[in-house]
Amino acid sequence: MSVLSVRNLALSIGGTPILHDVDLSVEAGEILGVVGESGSGKSLTALSIMQLLPRSAKWAGEIEVAGNSIGAMNEKALCKMRGRDVAMIFQEPMTALNPVHTIGHQIAETILIHNECSRAQASERAAALMHRVGLDPKKISPDRYPHELSGGQRQRVAIAMAIALRPKLLIADEPTTALDVTTQAQILDLLRNLVKQDRMGMIFITHDLAVISNLADKIAVMRHGEVVEAGPTDTVFREMRHDYTRALFSASAHVPKREAHINADGEPVLAVDEVVREYARPRKSLFQASRPFRAVDSVTLKIRPGENVGLVGESGCGKSTLARAILALDRLQGGKILLNGRVFSQAGAGPDMRQRAGVQVVFQDPYGSFNPRHTVRRLVAEPLYLIENAPAGAEREAKITRALEEVGLQASDADKYIHEFSGGQRQRIAIARALIIEPSLIVLDEAVSALDVSIRAQILDLLASLSTRLGVSYLFISHDLSVVRSITDRVMVMREGRIVEEGTTEEVFLAPKHAYTKMLIAATPVLKAPAEA
Amino acid sequence: MTLYLLRRLLALMLTLIAASIVVFLVTEIIPGDPASFMMGINADPQAVAALRSELGLDQPLVTRYLAWVIGMVQGDFGLSYTYKVPVSELVGDRILISLPLTLYALLLSTLIAFPAGVVAAARRNTAADFAVIGATQLGVAIPNFWFAMLLVLAFAVNLQWFSAGGFPGWDAGFLEAMKALTLPAIALALPQASILARVMRSSLLDTLDEDFVRTARAKGLTRSQTLWRHALRNALIPVLTIVGLQFSFLLAGGIIIENVFYLPGLGRLVFQAITQRDLIVVRSVIILLVFAVVAVTFLVDIAYAVADPRLRRRAR
Repeated sequence: MSVLSVRNLALSIGGTPILHDVDLSVEAGEILGVVGESGSGKSLTALSIMQLLPRSAKWAGEIEVAGNSIGAMNEKALCKMRGRDVAMIFQEPMTALNPVHTIGHQIAETILIHNECSRAQASERAAALMHRVGLDPKKISPDRYPHELSGGQRQRVAIAMAIALRPKLLIADEPTTALDVTTQAQILDLLRNLVKQDRMGMIFITHDLAVISNLADKIAVMRHGEVVEAGPTDTVFREMRHDYTRALFSASAHVPKREAHINADGEPVLAVDEVVREYARPRKSLFQASRPFRAVDSVTLKIRPGENVGLVGESGCGKSTLARAILALDRLQGGKILLNGRVFSQAGAGPDMRQRAGVQVVFQDPYGSFNPRHTVRRLVAEPLYLIENAPAGAEREAKITRALEEVGLQASDADKYIHEFSGGQRQRIAIARALIIEPSLIVLDEAVSALDVSIRAQILDLLASLSTRLGVSYLFISHDLSVVRSITDRVMVMREGRIVEEGTTEEVFLAPKHAYTKMLIAATPVLKAPAEA
Repeated sequence: MTLYLLRRLLALMLTLIAASIVVFLVTEIIPGDPASFMMGINADPQAVAALRSELGLDQPLVTRYLAWVIGMVQGDFGLSYTYKVPVSELVGDRILISLPLTLYALLLSTLIAFPAGVVAAARRNTAADFAVIGATQLGVAIPNFWFAMLLVLAFAVNLQWFSAGGFPGWDAGFLEAMKALTLPAIALALPQASILARVMRSSLLDTLDEDFVRTARAKGLTRSQTLWRHALRNALIPVLTIVGLQFSFLLAGGIIIENVFYLPGLGRLVFQAITQRDLIVVRSVIILLVFAVVAVTFLVDIAYAVADPRLRRRAR
């Protein structure tokens, strides 16, 4: 008997059809990978199984969990099923736990809700569960609160809560997307082992083909609320019968065409010299200032004209702090930063605003980085005030049009507002905004991390062609090693505020020297080419 | 936690010192000489000058400020210019009405607002929710003195359950005194409860949308278990802020209601003192109110830390 069987699942929310004809099945001890881009309906399929849909949702079809039809259950029966027969882990470990309860309490709660046992027994079992998910209760007390734990540790707590009652089916919705690669590798190992030991069925939802290719027994590829291709992992990757599967695969492994023409002799566009950035820590005593936290520790680097440099590292390594320092958004506590040979920012002084036009930035979040009440014209033209004798009238219009066309948009888009654009288009607008004053350097801080693979491939192509045509340099900051590898000439690896390894991209990826780089590369899931699969 | 308390206490002291300077200067700047006011318009200038020196008004600014502050620290708030009785006595009598009235109103407001807000949020977009939204809209819109008069008409004039005004004093017995404060407390509580219920509702609705509420549901908790065990405590922070602000507002802001019900409270005292240029009373009452506000803010800060462990880290 399958632990889960879904037949002809259809779902509409507020009258809008979302899912149709979804068929899935999971056997005990089996991992089903559900893969697809945002909006493909993979999360709503999971929430249909849990019956945690929005109120305006209507569903039809047949969902059976361990032989019991969900359609026949009332809310009381569903509450009994959730957590006991089917459990779920969500994407965002930072917000998935209640901030005002201890982790031990939250793990024990799953047990107490479903079992007639004492609070003390539940706490004891919670401690055992923590041990099982790799959190030693001696080191990490069950009395801790979620905010005292790292993202990976919180995700382990969420897993402990989910597996507490040995559910027959575990649904993991992008459980590692928000985590660093090394943490991701550990969590994937943990899930794999738990499935094996408890003979659970697992649905693993992800947008990342590389992750799923190494984990799942079988795969369902979803698009626009439908399963377009399904089958054993090897077969799906080998045959790729559906066009969309092929497109998804090639986008995931996409390497943009680039012609590097680095001017090795020219003045570096960016020279970071022994830069130090420190943050004040909260005071421990009333009369004594506490020692500051050094987020960037004597970093020195150079970027030559036309060069694309990658900066990789895990969260908290200081790469975004360094980016803010390069943009002179924060004051330096040591060292100096030169743009095109002139001092832009140095310790003990504010930034030289005349240099500001030399560097622009594109941030990660295409939804949060625009003022929603300004037209695209105003958004894109905003950096123009940085240059002396800024163009006006027709000349200004021409500049806006050229910037928009440069990134693949149209002149008529200038009159629209930002909510009229998709995530990928917004990132194009962000690039147009950076390009309009022809900076010599653009800092791309996780600029493609929030995008779906197909959109990401398009934006990478755009960035590559802009760099080739305009000779602009990039500082490409990302936690995603495969993306960095595809678009940079040189790469730097950052850890605990220092650059631990630096070299040409191919050199670093093929023959990493530092142990940390080796570990990062080993932990990065690799998408096997179809021929090997 | 000790360090946190010490720092809050230090901030409290600094606020009080700053406030005392501002209050002192403002009462200095406003026109009107207490001495000539006390002696009347046709007073002999020499007599006025004599009174000024008796009251210490001819001393330099700094000396007078220090004398005032040091006196207060020692519990001596000075003599009222008009009533010729110690200010502490005057204020003490009034506070025995204003403070219980404020607490009474705040209690009523919370008792009405919490259930109303929770019901509205738990049954979003149902008749119960709309009823709460409508009632609170009305509660905010109705002027409370008008509502107070309605209460008097209904419960004092027609039904004769309560007296229309006045205060028998605490000597008349606890129940009698509380009875006299009931209608004013209801009148004061109505708009406050409406505001609080709305804050409670929206805060709870925000919290119910959070990821951890979904996690709790996925564990198998029912909708109401999720609300009581997971959402409510997280929703309390903004509500606590409003409760703190309401206390400060009610303590002195009840002047209109005090007038409607002939209650000799703090609000009326300040009002009378200002019209009579009894500046020493004005200053003392205002400093007392500042102290109350700062002290309540301090309590609210502690309540935050109790409600939310994330704030305790800073507290340690």
